[in-house]
Amino acid sequence: MQGAHLVLFWLTLVAYATESGLQLGGITPKSPYRSALFGGLLLHSLFLGLRWGLSGHAPMAGLFDSLTVFSFCSALSAFLLCGTPETMPAWRILSALVVLPQAGAALLDKRLTPLYPALDTPWFAAHVGLSFLGYGFFAAGLALSWTYLRRGGEEVYRAAGSSALYGFTAFSAGMVCGGIWAFYAWGSYWIWTPKEIWSVVLWVYFAVLTHLKFIPAGEGWPRWGRRLEMGATAVGYFVMLATFLGVSLLLRSSHSF
Amino acid sequence: MTRAVWRFLTSHTTCVWVGVAFCLAGAAGSLALGRYPGVFSDMDAHVLLEWFARKGFAAPGPTLWLYGLLLATALMAVNVSCCTFERLVQIFRGHVSLRRLLPHVMHLAFLGVVFFHLVSSVNGDRIPGLRLFVGGVAPIGRTGWALKLDRLDVTMAREGYPRDVRAAVTLYRDRTPVAREVVRTNDPLFHEGYGVYLKDFGPTPWGARYAVFDANRDPGAPGVLVFSVLFTAANLLYLIPPRSRNA
Repeated sequence: MQGAHLVLFWLTLVAYATESGLQLGGITPKSPYRSALFGGLLLHSLFLGLRWGLSGHAPMAGLFDSLTVFSFCSALSAFLLCGTPETMPAWRILSALVVLPQAGAALLDKRLTPLYPALDTPWFAAHVGLSFLGYGFFAAGLALSWTYLRRGGEEVYRAAGSSALYGFTAFSAGMVCGGIWAFYAWGSYWIWTPKEIWSVVLWVYFAVLTHLKFIPAGEGWPRWGRRLEMGATAVGYFVMLATFLGVSLLLRSSHSF
Repeated sequence: MTRAVWRFLTSHTTCVWVGVAFCLAGAAGSLALGRYPGVFSDMDAHVLLEWFARKGFAAPGPTLWLYGLLLATALMAVNVSCCTFERLVQIFRGHVSLRRLLPHVMHLAFLGVVFFHLVSSVNGDRIPGLRLFVGGVAPIGRTGWALKLDRLDVTMAREGYPRDVRAAVTLYRDRTPVAREVVRTNDPLFHEGYGVYLKDFGPTPWGARYAVFDANRDPGAPGVLVFSVLFTAANLLYLIPPRSRNA
């Protein structure tokens, strides 16, 4: 059973890769729910549910689990934020952002491992799950803002704004859960490590981003406007990547991922 | 002049530039932590004020980012306070609705978190690295308490990971037990504002078993929790779409 559940992982990867390939070839589905991405999302849900059941804990510890959950949340955001005909052109980029972490996960050790005692708490699943939900929305933010910068569109602009707001909300709630967990596990809700600092940097970045729309175009320098706001939304994805992967891979931290 | 200063302090543009400064200072800090381990390795072993009073002045170069981070946080707090004050006056002079108030509830919650974090950073206490052998007793800093490790039970997984660690401890004041509990990871002993946390364990090369504890006091933690939850609640409510465009 342990090996069999990985079949679902590979099928998910095939579905995501198919969607991405079709999008790159200019072939778009008639409806979000009649797409390879939707099929992949269903398979992915089954895979994660089965892995949770087999391991006895939320599949969110370690790089493999982190990448596949990130991919899942990015795919989910496509249906939550990019499901209308006006916003679906964002799938062209978003489908690549979905398949890349899943492909990265495919290269890693996929064995089920027991949970360290410090991770054995419901706050762990809440903290990591909400953070990755936020990351998924930020992925949609990159796709939507890029689509706006290329084609414009009022609905795309609003969806990109929603992606930043929803992502910020989920990430904030994840930080609160992480603070509670850290208080019980390590004796303080805050410790000075690169991961914690970058988490606050990411939080402040998106907090500020949600205020950009209130600055009238032309006030201050540079000339604030929708294009700058959308550019900043796109850059936010890379700030998130630096927080998620950059810090964990390049700097020492209390977080494995 | 006063008008210009007020306009600067309430401006969204100020908020953006201060936020950018915060992000840059934080990014620089994340690199400095690894580059100067001699300066930053004991940062979590003290509350921030105590640590900063020693290292901030002794090593101003490597800690420059922290000056920037603190200054940006202070400016952000002032900006948020002034902005919220000005907007609340406008809101209460006109049409009051929950949706118009919610961003300012979030602002006030942010200020609450910053304030109570400051309380912990000034009035907290950190007593790290209390190493106790089974049956051993050690004083807990200057609290007047002593901690005794009565028993240590470790359950190992087949793969060699520690699955569960339980340390039965007793807290004494003047040889009188004041608290007795089994401390586990994620399950500390709390007594009069202090938490006693199990941080490490092991046998010595000659087989004696020991556990390492930290004792921390974070007087601002309950306030940080309350305002964080308030922020999240207001943020979630703000996601509910308005009934009309004018709401």
